[in-house]
Amino acid sequence: MGRQGSLVGMIGPLMVAALVTLLAVVVQGATSGAINDIIILFGINAILVVGFQSFAGNTGIMSFGHVAFMAVGAYTAGILAIPVTLKPIVLPSLPGFLSHVELSTFWTLLVAGLVASAVALVAGFAIMRLSGTGASIATLGMLVIVNNVLSQAHAITRGPQSFFGVPQDASFGWVFGSLIVVVALSAWMKWSGIGLRSRAVRDDMMAAEASGAKRVASRLWPFVLSGFITGVGGGLYAKDLTAFSPDSFFISQVVGVLVMAIIGGLSSISGALVGATVISVLVEILRNLEAGIPVGSLVVQAPAGISQAVLGVVLILMLRWRPAGITGPLELEIDPRRWRVPGGRSRIQLGSTPPPRSGPK
Amino acid sequence: MILAIQRLADALSVGSTYALLALGLTLVYGVMNLINFAYGMMLVWTALLAVLLIDHGIPIPLVVFGCVSFAILLSVATGWIAFRPFLTAAPVTLLITSFGVELVLQYAAILAFGNYPLVLQIPSYLNEVLHLGSLRIPKVELITIGTSVIVIGCLWYLLQRTSFGIEIRATAEKPEVARLMGIRPSRILVVVFAISGAIAGIAGLLWFAKVGALTARSDLDPTIKAFVAIVLGGLGNTRGAVVGGLALGGLEVLMSSLLPDAALGYTDAIVFVSVIGILLLRPGGLIGASTRL
Repeated sequence: MGRQGSLVGMIGPLMVAALVTLLAVVVQGATSGAINDIIILFGINAILVVGFQSFAGNTGIMSFGHVAFMAVGAYTAGILAIPVTLKPIVLPSLPGFLSHVELSTFWTLLVAGLVASAVALVAGFAIMRLSGTGASIATLGMLVIVNNVLSQAHAITRGPQSFFGVPQDASFGWVFGSLIVVVALSAWMKWSGIGLRSRAVRDDMMAAEASGAKRVASRLWPFVLSGFITGVGGGLYAKDLTAFSPDSFFISQVVGVLVMAIIGGLSSISGALVGATVISVLVEILRNLEAGIPVGSLVVQAPAGISQAVLGVVLILMLRWRPAGITGPLELEIDPRRWRVPGGRSRIQLGSTPPPRSGPK
Repeated sequence: MILAIQRLADALSVGSTYALLALGLTLVYGVMNLINFAYGMMLVWTALLAVLLIDHGIPIPLVVFGCVSFAILLSVATGWIAFRPFLTAAPVTLLITSFGVELVLQYAAILAFGNYPLVLQIPSYLNEVLHLGSLRIPKVELITIGTSVIVIGCLWYLLQRTSFGIEIRATAEKPEVARLMGIRPSRILVVVFAISGAIAGIAGLLWFAKVGALTARSDLDPTIKAFVAIVLGGLGNTRGAVVGGLALGGLEVLMSSLLPDAALGYTDAIVFVSVIGILLLRPGGLIGASTRL
């Protein structure tokens, strides 16, 4: 697939993203906007999963630290989006230049992504030197660092107190528009030289390094891009929630994204989108179950928090019986150039990137 | 001078707890490449059980015995049910599996004990502070250091001086060859999970006796500290775990005594940044990563 170039490779994942968006539009229409909140949150989760997949899928390294990018994105977007009139109330000791800034949604999200990717660049420069397992743990350290700084930097984050006053403008268009853009970015990277090198290092580090792929660089750039995507997701999350605190972005947030990515299929973008959809529906069903669902004359009610346990069990069973996730390594690949070849292979096919043979050593 | 000794005692106490935690984790990693995210939940379950037993007026020695036995059972059970099917899987798969196990164990703890803080009431004679001249050392600190030394000594003897230890080390170093020599991997697995559980039980009691209160969600702090300690020391070997634990404890006490008041809130961040800095210089950890227990 690599030979056909990264632009062509973008078509498949983009079609899946379009399909997901279409699904969201249909569901929204069918329920006449009654579950709009859920759909918006689903779109944001899909962005976060795509961000996570861009790193973990290409490098084979599990990251617990992506919530940190989400937090950075959310706080950046919050600081930039709070109306200037409200700033003296919410953030009285904000440094001068920030207290006069109020950016539009587009610029807020872009800067949120860029700041998160800058954090990824700095942290990744150190973390990506470690072995796979060591790097996973170091990302957890990064999360602790970011959480600690956010809850102490009172002047710009209000510390552990709730950060509020962000205008609620995470509309359907912005969320799913961003989803399509980040899917395009992620697919572009996957089929570009960067993505190919990082998967080469993932699959066989020695052979890849002997062929000139640099280990640190091959992991760092996917980390930076996934930091950007997750930062944008965090920005949208801030604009959806409007109030949050540093504890909104800790380990409990990791669970959802991780489970969605693994269940869907870690090594493909289509898998990330499928996983986000399936788990969102499952969690919604479980949440209704916690509230109680009438079945005939009985009300079936599950104890609070059941979704956490179910996700845990689903995760273990999935890894046991289908470790590559629902889609496996399959990625929707569409090659328009084959259209001109009579009797050529089918134009639309499910290509596959082999999953990691063995974990990074 | 007195202050320096005081700090040293603090550092030893914190560091030896981390060393214990890291040991329990690194043993399992050495044998099956599993970084066990559910490890902290073993500590929490043990401490929750201790709260229950102490509230029922059961004497302390019996509580310790009961809790550690329970931790061993829990650890072996999770190892056998959840992790054994993944014996040959990639480390990433194992790590995610343990994440799932953590979710399930935590939910079970919430169902059993509720989701609110419980106080681990240790008897007052353990809560005293010893005065040696102007030196003030809490008894809990001494007990922590003493227990850790004993546990580490026992583990060293078991691993280095018994045939059982040789079997464990052989499995860690070359699983295939060990198997050819007639060492049964599943038996080693049970033993290693049992040792890891015993250590988790002891560490859990020490940890939460010092902290004082816990909820079913308190597992994260010990898990993170143990994770960082093993990476700092060097993944997969027992010396690395001990060195990493002591170094992390030392670093924490050093930072909290050196930092100006304004920066004290950032202690965690500064400690973790320094750890990443150390790893930048020595990517394999202080001892160097190798699966030689």
